[in-house]
Amino acid sequence: MAGTERVMAIEASQKRFARLTALPGMVVLVLLVVGPLVYMFFNSFFLKTLATPVPPRFAWFENYGSLFADHRFWNAFLNSMIIMVIGIPIQSALALVIALLLNKKFPGSRIVVALFLIPVMITPVVAGFEWKIILDDRFGPLNYVLGLVGVSPQAWLAQPALAMASILLMDTWQWTPFVTLVLLAGLAAIPKQVYEAASVDGSSASETLWRVTMPLLRPVFTLVILLRIIFIFKVFDPVQILTGGGPGVATETLSVLTYIIGFKNFNVGMSATIAVVQLIIITIIAKLFIRLVMNRREGTPS
Amino acid sequence: MTTTELRREDLARRQRIRTLLGVLRFALILIFLLIFLFPVYWIGIGAFKVEGEFYHYPPVFWPSQFNFANFGRAMTVFGGTQALTTSLVVAVVNTGLVIAFGVLLAYSMGRFKVGGENMSFFVLSLLFAPPVIATMPLFIIFKTLRMLDTYPVLFLSYILINMPFAVWVMKGFFEEIPQSIESAALLDGYSRLHAFWKYILPLAVPGIAVTALFVFIFSWNEFLFALIFTRSHAQTLPITLAGMTGGHQIPWGEISALSLIAITPGILLTLFFQKYLVRGLTFGAVKG
Repeated sequence: MAGTERVMAIEASQKRFARLTALPGMVVLVLLVVGPLVYMFFNSFFLKTLATPVPPRFAWFENYGSLFADHRFWNAFLNSMIIMVIGIPIQSALALVIALLLNKKFPGSRIVVALFLIPVMITPVVAGFEWKIILDDRFGPLNYVLGLVGVSPQAWLAQPALAMASILLMDTWQWTPFVTLVLLAGLAAIPKQVYEAASVDGSSASETLWRVTMPLLRPVFTLVILLRIIFIFKVFDPVQILTGGGPGVATETLSVLTYIIGFKNFNVGMSATIAVVQLIIITIIAKLFIRLVMNRREGTPS
Repeated sequence: MTTTELRREDLARRQRIRTLLGVLRFALILIFLLIFLFPVYWIGIGAFKVEGEFYHYPPVFWPSQFNFANFGRAMTVFGGTQALTTSLVVAVVNTGLVIAFGVLLAYSMGRFKVGGENMSFFVLSLLFAPPVIATMPLFIIFKTLRMLDTYPVLFLSYILINMPFAVWVMKGFFEEIPQSIESAALLDGYSRLHAFWKYILPLAVPGIAVTALFVFIFSWNEFLFALIFTRSHAQTLPITLAGMTGGHQIPWGEISALSLIAITPGILLTLFFQKYLVRGLTFGAVKG
């Protein structure tokens, strides 16, 4: 069976080649990831700080216990959740409206879409500054415009609830265009015949939207919501610039708290612990992403 | 009135409604556009204001005179030149490293499914993980190696941020190249590496270039790692910007000027590579 042997030889050489080409990149990733990762897990079982010269002490799950008993952790967790639970629906609804407005091509629509997308790639630190100036209670344009319609000036960044609203405002400004873009791609992938069939059946515009367009957009909505959850878990720079987590701990997100524990308190053990907790959450989201988005590629537009 | 007259009137009414809706649509688009671009406009115009105009009520929406001195002071007094150089060097070198190490891995994953779903899961988890969780272990490691506040610390640590992204997106581009091209090259007696180098890579160049642009912008915009791993020698643009608020009076004019410079590459990418934006930002899940 010379033929099969040849096939097997080719397969073997292909496997070798595949591993060989994957090697350099894998080595880099593993060196940069696995080392720190193992070190992090290890540290999460130790009471260890850089702030005092006390030698580290092995403490089993004590760090985890203190983390889950710490109301500051739950506050940060809740703040991240609030940004997701309030921000993502607002951004999705707003993005849907804008996407529907932009869906039908018109002269210059490409340029308009491009202009809409500018906030997405703005340096996050600059985004923080932009809103810091805009929200300034005395000289900011927002309070000025509100003043024109009779609203008294608000101390946006000084009051806890308003500071959270400011973070949401900034997040919505930066990421609604991204959601719009994904929804536009989803809308473009819906075949014309579907709309024609709906119109032949005599369905009204709003019926078509709810019964035809929305169900067909479900896969892209799933994708964009998962991505937004991931991005919100990651967000650090603009929050750090705009509020620094304050006033008090009012806008402290998980990322900001992780930074504070690590580099303000220099608590190595605790920072490792909160990192492990976030890693576990993200692992679950990555699994979900693979199941809902990648294994259903046919459902997403291409 | 005859039925034809009624019909005509009905048609005319519908036409009017359609025109009205069209006008409404453009009005709404314009309003949204103004709202979303206003913050960018505000920081942009701020670069040309004199200091007093930042502390003026009502706010100055259009400065009476364009003032360019902010750029000069931002570059010299506030260390903008050094920051700009550092950011440029770090972003270019990091992009080079990420692409160099990432291309083959992406090809291997896209074509031969190396590591299967576990590998995908590994790369995706890295892509999704908040960078802040890696800061403490890396800080201790880099401190031990005496690498803090040097260029190499950013070259290396940004690989962690960008390589999972680059590998994942380039993998998608490689998957789109038909397998028959390799088969033909192999039948012609080329080695696999040669086939990759001579036939596949040239076809992948546009995808690789777009990925590189994204990596460049991500490095350029990065703040957290630079904040923790550098102090003064390797200060990048975002760090210099953030540091400018340290004094007792915030130099908004200079901050705006430097901000305008900082956001220019990202804006250019958005305007000229819009087609690839959705693909990059959804990590290849939407091809756009």
